[in-house]
Amino acid sequence: MPDEEIIEEGVINPVQPEVQDPLLRSLLAEEPIPTNTPKEQPQAVEPEADEVDCVVIGLGAGGAPLLARLAQAGLKVVALEAGPWHTPETDFATDEKAQDFLFWNDERLAAGGDPLAMGKNNSGTGVGGSTLHYTAYTPRPLPDDLHVRRDFGQGEDWPVSYEELEPYYNEVERFIGVSGPTPYPWGPARSQGYPLAPLPLNSAAQLMVRGAEKMGIKTSPAANAALSARYYQEGVGWREACTNRGFCQAGCSNGAKSSMDVTFIPLAVKHGADIRPNSFVTEIERDARGYVTGVVYTQNGEQKRQRCRHLFLCGGSVETPRLLLLNELALTSGQVGRNLMAHPGLQVWGTFADEVRPNKGIPGGLISQDTHRPKDADFIGGYLLQSIGVMPVTFAGQVARGRKMWGQPLRDYMRNFNHIAGINILGDCLPHADNFLELADEKDARGLPKPRLHFTAQENEHRMNAHAEKIMRGIWEAAGATDIWSFQRYAHVIGTARMGKSGDDAVVDANGRAFDVPNLYISDNSTFPSALSVNPALTIMALSLRTADKFLESLK
Amino acid sequence: MSAPIYPSGTVRALLATPHVSDATRTALQARLDAPVAYEPQFLAPETFALLEAVAARLFPQPDRPDNPIPLAPSVDQRLTEGRADGWRYDALPPDREAYRLGLGGIQEIAQELFQADFMGLNAEQQDAVIQALAEGTPPGAAWETLDASRFFEEMLAELTETYYAHPLAQEEIGYVGMADLPKWSKIGLNEKDDREIDVR
Repeated sequence: MPDEEIIEEGVINPVQPEVQDPLLRSLLAEEPIPTNTPKEQPQAVEPEADEVDCVVIGLGAGGAPLLARLAQAGLKVVALEAGPWHTPETDFATDEKAQDFLFWNDERLAAGGDPLAMGKNNSGTGVGGSTLHYTAYTPRPLPDDLHVRRDFGQGEDWPVSYEELEPYYNEVERFIGVSGPTPYPWGPARSQGYPLAPLPLNSAAQLMVRGAEKMGIKTSPAANAALSARYYQEGVGWREACTNRGFCQAGCSNGAKSSMDVTFIPLAVKHGADIRPNSFVTEIERDARGYVTGVVYTQNGEQKRQRCRHLFLCGGSVETPRLLLLNELALTSGQVGRNLMAHPGLQVWGTFADEVRPNKGIPGGLISQDTHRPKDADFIGGYLLQSIGVMPVTFAGQVARGRKMWGQPLRDYMRNFNHIAGINILGDCLPHADNFLELADEKDARGLPKPRLHFTAQENEHRMNAHAEKIMRGIWEAAGATDIWSFQRYAHVIGTARMGKSGDDAVVDANGRAFDVPNLYISDNSTFPSALSVNPALTIMALSLRTADKFLESLK
Repeated sequence: MSAPIYPSGTVRALLATPHVSDATRTALQARLDAPVAYEPQFLAPETFALLEAVAARLFPQPDRPDNPIPLAPSVDQRLTEGRADGWRYDALPPDREAYRLGLGGIQEIAQELFQADFMGLNAEQQDAVIQALAEGTPPGAAWETLDASRFFEEMLAELTETYYAHPLAQEEIGYVGMADLPKWSKIGLNEKDDREIDVR
């Protein structure tokens, strides 16, 4: 190796590095970029702007619904979103690499026994947040998901009941246009069916029906937040139906997927919300009483301040606790960053003689919740089963990581792409003391500490995975698959600023209001007391509307 | 079941049609048009050549002697620009250090196993070096500080994603999902739209 290798060696385990990146370090040394540290450069911040009623940080599933609600109530609201505002038709190519810009690409450090993949797996940026690239799989939790502790004596119960949330699930499903089965085969009877019929089943879904029938497992077309027919959207007009493009883990180019940018955000704009993209918040300012008075943010390289009467923090389970920790805000419970959970998302893949072409159709076409509380379970909670389609780059990356294939065998296996189909689970996860988020010493390009996420799956998750793997392999064998293999993964970062009944062991109350700071609210998956055995987006939206309503009531 | 073999030229032919959006065409055409010659910007020339040699064993392309899908340039470009993909194993140092240490470590394995430079080994010996790395406990001082399994996983995943993002690799596996306009009408088992490619 060349001599410069030796020079770099000292960088591997540096003590308290200011900036890790050598290029950035040299750039900073030569020509300081505008910094985000107002204490050092107070003159860089604009004179205080007008105070608004509410500032909302983050425009994903947590921020967008409440932004619309607050704007509809006539409040003066400003939304600060770290990422840009996209134009779907021209920005959203049907190409996985070309869609990388939808992910939160600032580096997070993944620690623990089961390090959590971030980037495309667990994050988003842009007006719409990670709903821009969520798969749109939107099952409701079943009522007992909210009471794991009551039923099993471990984990946490929610301070909000399913009955309180149900009207909000109804409203969200109706407003954004969820396609799903009516009646829904699992859980209590619902007061309202899905507004649209289910999307058509793709090959993977049909194969799962074939295998599950032989196993005596009930399946159903799944609920997906994508339109099976044209749908009228207030503030948008007619949204067109899904074209079976299958590219839902990236941006939807025709607006059929119900991401926030084609649903709640246009509604908010129609009612006067001021949306500021490319705005990265670094500081939350307070008065002597500890009330939030405003935020400092960087927009397109320029540092700005926005004063507000109330602040809504909706940055997700990584950026929300990072902002709280950086600003030493709402920390008295000791729970900020704690209780980090991630859904067991074990996948089982197989090769079929049939032509599958797994890139077409809504990826998660089918669901079974027969495994929600399995009779033979040796674990707490449960999981759902889901058929999965996939795109080639994502699949190949998983083959490399999961099967450790390389060379000619990898190329040979990948030629089966059109004959591959998968199933996966989404399971509940218990909080554990070893699983938490902290600020690392290592700094990012903004000079802020990188978040470090510790995650190690515990006994309960291992038992659930083993139970699920046996069932999924059984379904795939019954469906005629060969060369079956499993890929262990954990999806969705949840917890880190949990809600509860008391400020002794929770960061926010059932309404999302911080116990420590009366005019600070949190609305995102960081507040979930338990992980639930379903994908989080629908519940984030429902809670967001509820938080807005509770806040508006408090103003009366 | 032996893996299907698809005809070549399929994706390239579809790129010219209205089935592909402008944004999609731009992304794929840029990869096809990338110049063959590449001058490394971040890695030293000999380190870059080593990465190319390793990539040529991770993705042997005897079927493309004149126009192999380039894999090493995208790594060098990413390291030059300091781009990340949103996360990193805490067990690994920052990407630039990881690649330079890891590639140095591959040379060490070659020396330990064959007392020769990796570039001087035959294909079988090079594969033995890579296999030692893939198994997670290769010989060499570099691997006392660098987690071999994680480094190999990260490097292999990055090169794999670059390979299968290329239109020629997508032709190889019969993928035509980029030609999604106006819509897919036939999405069930053993169904395909007319523009989907049959095996050779």
